[in-house]
Amino acid sequence: MEEVTVNVIDLNQCDEDFIKQLIELGAEELKECIQCGKCASTCPMALAGLEFFIKRIIHAATLGLRDILIEDPSVWACQSCNRCVEICPMDVKPYEIIQAVRRAAVRVEACPASTYEGLRNLYRFGHAVFPKGFEERRKKAGLPEKPPTALSFDELRKKYQEVLKQTILEEIAPFPLD
Amino acid sequence: MAKIGVYVCHCGENIAGAVNIEEVVKYSQTLPDVVVVKNYVFMCSDPGQDLIKQDIKDGLVDRVVVAACTPRTHEPIFRDAVEAAGLNRYFLEMANIRDQDSWAHWHDKSGATEKAKRLIKSAVAKVRLAEPLYDRYGDVEKSVMVVGGGVAGMFAALDLANMGLKVYLVERQPSIGGNMIKLDKTFPTMDCSACILTPKMVEVAQHPNIELITYAEVDEVKGYVGNFDIRVRKKARYIDWDKCTGCGVCTQICPARVPNEYNFGMDQRRAAYIEFPQAVPKKAVIDAPNCLYFKSLKKTGKPACEICKKGIPPKGIQGCPADAIKFDDKDEYVTLKVGAVILATGYKVMDKTHFKEYSPHSPDVVTAMEFERILSATGPTEGELKRPSDGTKPKTIAFISCVGSRDERYHSYCSKVCCMYMFKHARILKEKYPDIKLYLFFIDVRTAGKDFEEFYVYTKQLGVKVIRGGRVSAVDVKPNGKLRVRGFDVDLCSPVELEADMVVLATAIEPPEGTEELGRLFAATCGREGFLREVHTKLYPVETAAKGVFIAGCVQGPKDIPESIAQSRAAAAAAAALVIPGKIKFEAIISEVDRDKCSSCGVCVPLCPYNAIRLEEYKGKDKAKIEPALCAGCGVCASACPSRAIVFHGYTTEQILAQIEALTEV
Repeated sequence: MEEVTVNVIDLNQCDEDFIKQLIELGAEELKECIQCGKCASTCPMALAGLEFFIKRIIHAATLGLRDILIEDPSVWACQSCNRCVEICPMDVKPYEIIQAVRRAAVRVEACPASTYEGLRNLYRFGHAVFPKGFEERRKKAGLPEKPPTALSFDELRKKYQEVLKQTILEEIAPFPLD
Repeated sequence: MAKIGVYVCHCGENIAGAVNIEEVVKYSQTLPDVVVVKNYVFMCSDPGQDLIKQDIKDGLVDRVVVAACTPRTHEPIFRDAVEAAGLNRYFLEMANIRDQDSWAHWHDKSGATEKAKRLIKSAVAKVRLAEPLYDRYGDVEKSVMVVGGGVAGMFAALDLANMGLKVYLVERQPSIGGNMIKLDKTFPTMDCSACILTPKMVEVAQHPNIELITYAEVDEVKGYVGNFDIRVRKKARYIDWDKCTGCGVCTQICPARVPNEYNFGMDQRRAAYIEFPQAVPKKAVIDAPNCLYFKSLKKTGKPACEICKKGIPPKGIQGCPADAIKFDDKDEYVTLKVGAVILATGYKVMDKTHFKEYSPHSPDVVTAMEFERILSATGPTEGELKRPSDGTKPKTIAFISCVGSRDERYHSYCSKVCCMYMFKHARILKEKYPDIKLYLFFIDVRTAGKDFEEFYVYTKQLGVKVIRGGRVSAVDVKPNGKLRVRGFDVDLCSPVELEADMVVLATAIEPPEGTEELGRLFAATCGREGFLREVHTKLYPVETAAKGVFIAGCVQGPKDIPESIAQSRAAAAAAAALVIPGKIKFEAIISEVDRDKCSSCGVCVPLCPYNAIRLEEYKGKDKAKIEPALCAGCGVCASACPSRAIVFHGYTTEQILAQIEALTEV
């Protein structure tokens, strides 16, 4: 008989190596968190009604619940606003924990597809997200077709790509770094 | 005829803001026997008191009514003033026109003014009939009994002894040390409990002013504050302590084995035993109900075993080398005279058997106190971490808080120390075995105390897992012998499950057995939860309802070691302040029986909350007698006496009736 799946988290899943990995990847103050919840009361994710928000992510991280953290896309919804870092009374740097989980997820290619799209854009154009399809309108308004950012300066973008090739991206990018 | 002076206080705006003082003054002048009426902004100030004193000295008044605030705080001040001017201090009456009038009727000025008039009229009616009363003094025995030889009792005894007072320290067990000596380490400093307590135990035993009476219980209490006569029963030890050297031979050769209470039954001791290795005094006792000598004597009339005394000669085993075994030992009674008593009988922890949902039948489910013994070097495993069921080293341990605490079925209170000792256990384990997995289940984490929060955060950093909002619902024994723990994690907002090798229950702190009986012996009352109750949580935290009986430590409620010691030293100071002057003042406002009127019905005896009344022979009949030293002047007996034989001095029936008449006159 197949086991009935119930919504219970098995604490024996706790992976101490995963906790160590997160700490190495930047979640240095992880174990200082006392779950006071001040971060959650200012986090845009929590305010927007996402259920797996910063406070719970940190708790799951302290418990070493690797699979839950890697499989849930919530860490990718973080707006990187850094309010949590400023407000945290224990100086846990919650955003750094989100980043550490993202770094761990990227290493096992556990990112949402849109993340790869953004990563490819970052490599190719120097922006993860940038305005597209406004060329005509910009011209009408007397602006250059492309904004004066990495998009307009091919030389600088090449240099930037060289820098990126020196990073972990070389190992993990699921697209050719040409 | 009395010459009454009425002094109306404004209390700044407190009274004058609601009561029309001028009108009240004019009215007071019309009352019978009133000869002087004055008012002042603060009657309790020096110039205010001088007004009263001057009028008395000038012979204008011989009875005083102060219409002001509450007698609870201010009556002593005005009594002193009246006395200083040469009047009997009980020729003073206060009319509380602030708390009971201006404050209560702030928005009804004319009503408040009318009520002030009535209250003054009533006070005048009462003071007219006042009789002179005199405070009395009694001698005080300059010695103190401390009941309970745990950390609280020991510190109280040492402080009192160092003040030069004679102290009798009575302990139920063969050794002092109490619960603290059983602990492995103490939070937040991680001091070894035995290491810091043993020197104190020795100091207590060697102090010239302390008479240590262990293996003994209070049997009967007579007398009252300043002069207690307390009978103590020294239990038969069956070993002559004058001869016993504590060598331990009897504890090794005795063939009768019984569960060792000191280790909560996790190992065995013999019927002849020394309570624990660092026992003070280090003397052996024979536990008669389990001793083969007494068992067989009872059954067959002949003793079957005398190994402790005679040894086993054919095997070359010698008996007690000090010839201290004394099978004909008897309980011994001593009566001690003391001026004050400190009750410091500590606590016990709840047994796990109450909690069926946590599989108490499993040996791997232990209480925190049992776990303390498992961690201790003098415990059943000699400090090695072993699972009780199979002796293997546990890899995962779950700790469950609030077991029997914050639970209306058992105890509604918080046991206060559990959160911290759970972290302490976690820290001891993590520092010894860094790879051990520890899950601590809390309702919430309570770490109020000096250096406690820091202790918590530090312990978390060691990798201890804290699950909050997680009162565990079940611990089940799985077929593989492991324990499945089911809880809820409020931070994950999800039910959680854990397979653990051992479960430690932080069971509630309870009053020890016999607390209520002990309280009754001394006329000290217990609260709803069964702990001895202080008179006032804030102002009188070590006093009990019984005068001269003080409380210290966990017998008053759950507390940690620093708090217990602080309270015990406070109790020592309070007891010393009582006995050192050698004299004690007894209130003049007490009840007295007119024995010629007493019908011997005895109604008053059980009504008295202070055990101050007993029946005593008078002209051939049992009549009620009130012990003035014990009477607190509550008046219960006087109001209940069907023969009106009890006079409540300061509140006589005539005075009360006059007051009622004054208040109700249309």
